[in-house]
Amino acid sequence: MDQREYKLIFTGSMGAGKTTAIAAVSEVAPLCTDVQNTDHSEFAKATTTTGLDYGEVTLPGGQVLRLFGTPGQTRFRFMWDILGKGALGVVVLVDNSRPDPVRDACDYVQAFSNVIAGTRAVIGVGRCDAYPTPTLEEYDDALKAIGVNVPVISADVRQREHVLTLVDILFYQIEAAETVSSGAVA
Amino acid sequence: MTVHEQCLSRSEEAVINHHLDALMQQEQEICGAVVSTVDGFHVAARLTGSLSAEKLSAMASSLLAINEAVCRESSMGECRDLVVEASQGRILLMDVPHPAQKLILTVLCRAKTTMGKALWSARSCRESLGRVFSRT
Ligand SMILES: Nc1nc2c(ncn2[C@@H]2O[C@H](COP(=O)(O)OP(=O)(O)O)[C@@H](O)[C@H]2O)c(=O)[nH]1
Ligand SMILES: [Mg+2]
Repeated sequence: MDQREYKLIFTGSMGAGKTTAIAAVSEVAPLCTDVQNTDHSEFAKATTTTGLDYGEVTLPGGQVLRLFGTPGQTRFRFMWDILGKGALGVVVLVDNSRPDPVRDACDYVQAFSNVIAGTRAVIGVGRCDAYPTPTLEEYDDALKAIGVNVPVISADVRQREHVLTLVDILFYQIEAAETVSSGAVA
Repeated sequence: MTVHEQCLSRSEEAVINHHLDALMQQEQEICGAVVSTVDGFHVAARLTGSLSAEKLSAMASSLLAINEAVCRESSMGECRDLVVEASQGRILLMDVPHPAQKLILTVLCRAKTTMGKALWSARSCRESLGRVFSRT
């Protein structure tokens, strides 16, 4: 069995569903550090994460993935740096109902560019049913324009299966990146 | 502009400012104090130099949120104060009760401070604030 540490990050704007996603798939009681939200202009929900989320999920191959969720707001950027250390890949969650969600995706991808290194990420776009635009192609184009080549899928993080799909894709992206880099060394 | 203004009245902000001044005067070794919302917005601050009230407020929010999670995880009851011991001083963090929205008090102390004295002053400040808020 694979004894490696797989540390994965869930990031994205406030209300995109990072806390929901980790709770949906975690096999251990998820760690949640939500506190009262006073910023209803940014997103009208009762609580917001200011520390971190944590959960674990085991892949069919036996690998245990450790999932770390970040706070979404930029004032918690210092937590992004702390949580990003040692991470192997990033799930970026996007809320398609926001004013400029493509920009959001690019911003979070760039904030974690050290971890992502061009490919170690997957973008999950939420609320596509109610907000069909921008389209997934628009995300693709914008990301390619900043040199990032990662899968973009539509995902409802309240559905466990959707979150598992995101995690599976990210795991594949990580494996592919490592095959390429070890191939380059050999 | 900022969000806390919807929840905290003008008079409450004045009370907080007054309390911070009193705290700094009472304890010479306290070199800074910040009051912020639990989700990391700065409400009032007495800081010197280049210290950022915005950044400290966000960090205080993260620290206390994680502190609470640790207390829950280890079944140690309600989270009280968080004391950070640094080589050049101490940082005390505690929440301030408020009927509508809990606040956070962060106090920076120089290394010379006796822990007991600083904690006592900070706790008296938070309790006095709590009493005022419960009346409004
Ligand atoms: N209607 C709808 N709600 C969603 C969807 N995705 C997430 N949500 C809700 O949006 C909220 C996200 O909150 P949270 O997980 O705290 O977001 P975080 O700030 O990213 O951690 C939750 O109430 C979810 O149930 C979606 O696709 N459709
Ligand atoms: Mg959250």
